[in-house]
Amino acid sequence: MRLPSGVFNVSYAQDMTVFRTLYHWLGLVLFLVMLFLVPLFARQYWVDLLSTIAVTVIAIEGLNILAGYCGQISVGHTAFMAVGAYTSAILARQLGLPFWLCLPCAGLAAGFAGIFFGLSSLKVKGFYLALTTIAAQFIIIYLIKTPLEKWTGGAIALHVPEIHLGGFVFKSERQLYYLVMGLTILMTFFAKSLTRGHIGRAFVAIRDNDIAAEAMGINLYRYKLLAFFIGCFYAGVAGSVWSVYAKVISPDDFTLEGSIWQMGMLISGGLGSTLGPIFGAIFIKALNEIVVIAGPLITSVIPAIGAQISAALVEMVFGITLILFLIYEPRGIAHRWEILKESYRLWPFSY
Amino acid sequence: MIKFTQLVLTGISVGFIYGLVALGFVLIYKSSKIFNFAQGEMVMVGAFLTWSLLGLFHMPVLPGLILSFIVAGAVGYGFERFPFRPMIGQPILAIIMVTMAIAVFLRGLAILLWANFVGIKFPSIIPEQTIYIFNIPFSSVFAWSFLLVFSLVIGLSLFFQYTRLGLHMRAAAEHHQLAQSMGIRVTRSIAQSWAIAAVVSTAGGFLLGYIRGIDFGLANLGLVALAGALVGGLESFKGAIIGGLIIGVAETLTGGYIGRNLKEVVPFVVMVLVVFYKPYGLFGLERIERV
Repeated sequence: MRLPSGVFNVSYAQDMTVFRTLYHWLGLVLFLVMLFLVPLFARQYWVDLLSTIAVTVIAIEGLNILAGYCGQISVGHTAFMAVGAYTSAILARQLGLPFWLCLPCAGLAAGFAGIFFGLSSLKVKGFYLALTTIAAQFIIIYLIKTPLEKWTGGAIALHVPEIHLGGFVFKSERQLYYLVMGLTILMTFFAKSLTRGHIGRAFVAIRDNDIAAEAMGINLYRYKLLAFFIGCFYAGVAGSVWSVYAKVISPDDFTLEGSIWQMGMLISGGLGSTLGPIFGAIFIKALNEIVVIAGPLITSVIPAIGAQISAALVEMVFGITLILFLIYEPRGIAHRWEILKESYRLWPFSY
Repeated sequence: MIKFTQLVLTGISVGFIYGLVALGFVLIYKSSKIFNFAQGEMVMVGAFLTWSLLGLFHMPVLPGLILSFIVAGAVGYGFERFPFRPMIGQPILAIIMVTMAIAVFLRGLAILLWANFVGIKFPSIIPEQTIYIFNIPFSSVFAWSFLLVFSLVIGLSLFFQYTRLGLHMRAAAEHHQLAQSMGIRVTRSIAQSWAIAAVVSTAGGFLLGYIRGIDFGLANLGLVALAGALVGGLESFKGAIIGGLIIGVAETLTGGYIGRNLKEVVPFVVMVLVVFYKPYGLFGLERIERV
């Protein structure tokens, strides 16, 4: 990787730095300030969209640690979101626990559910693991729908109580936006820190070749299960935040299609980079919104197609996009972003 | 006891259809090491396609079925060229996601074309009557599907065992490079196995659609069949059928004795248990891995 002009690494600590120059820091601060100013100016639509993206980013950062860094394919990620969402909602409803307690509990519950289904990763990998996680999706949603009906309300939507932090009540979407965004930033920061340390390196070693990793002294059991725990912890946190933001949750919010979409977002954004999930979530959501807006326009021009065009196009466009990404840019938008940065970094005095 | 036997028999006939769909997976897996998650959607689209020809355009039964098999086969053949040929040598995650992307795409296509016809039924083709086997009442539809699946399975086995094409496909499945050096066009072999898998899943879609009506839920039944393939072991045709049977019987038994909701997840529970106990299925090949 080329460094900005005039910057040279003289120590390992410098080599690992994320933000190197004054302009990096300025950019970061400007970006964060802009994020926090959005609800003051933007319409409700944008606040909703950005919050949805932010929640998705949390979930996908987890999926990224699991699939992008550790290479354990999971196609049941929304089920773990459901675990988190229902755990925090039930704790708040039944026991009246405050949100700052519900949130970590939701993460832990999802994490342990993740460990349980991750146990199969010790025996199988690849396709088998993917199918086991699909099984997790169906089994968890079934558990929520039928045996736990007393607490979850079954297939009927469950209302999530408002949350208090200190004496402050989060009521409107705009207030919740700050909560969601703050958590997203925090979780992204943790994800980046984690993947830079020895845990992240162990994960990458397992992803690249788990037998070689084991031979080098990495405890596969511990690290694979840790990856499942962390990945699903993220999903649980995302689910908990989502339940608070949406105010109503039902098992239909957490489908296999949702899991596939999250995987698609991760791939189009870029596996194995912290930026990837952010790019992917924004890109796919934006594409989705465009298609949803374009659908009725197409129907108004050619009425013969019918009203289902939006629903159909959303899926078809997503499928095609995903295939094109996998064939032409398997490393995702994050990789393109790196290339872009390389190209302007030394401009106009490249050597 | 009669209820039990009846449920088991129903389970067996449903299981045979699962086995048939699972056969499609195994076919593709053996020849190209691709695990086709879009199989469920291929079943669904196949069912809608057959219905369109038979119910919408009122084609006679046999030509209609044959035409839908030809269309499905051609589409399946095309899948090899795009998107699977560029995926050769890519990591497993990428290949899984391509098949899932195809699944999503096919679902979108089905919504686009057939959203107005959800819940339709096939025109009745098979004479509806109740047959008694060992004094147990039994719908004739099941008997017919049993016969059809059985003949397809026999036909496919003979095809693989005794024809030149089948031999090519078995060779390609064994080792791509080796097969290539013997003058076999591996890409064509893989395309052919995709075509056969598409035809087989269309047949499965027709049968499943005939028994329970056609809707978008058929795609999930394809996933159930996938669980069956995993139970049986991915490398074995015999395993696919037996896995399908196990899943089918387990499903109807829980549906009959416990409840409908559990019925939907029981295949996956069985699959997870089998994966824990025997990771590569009942008849799968255990692979020894090296660095």
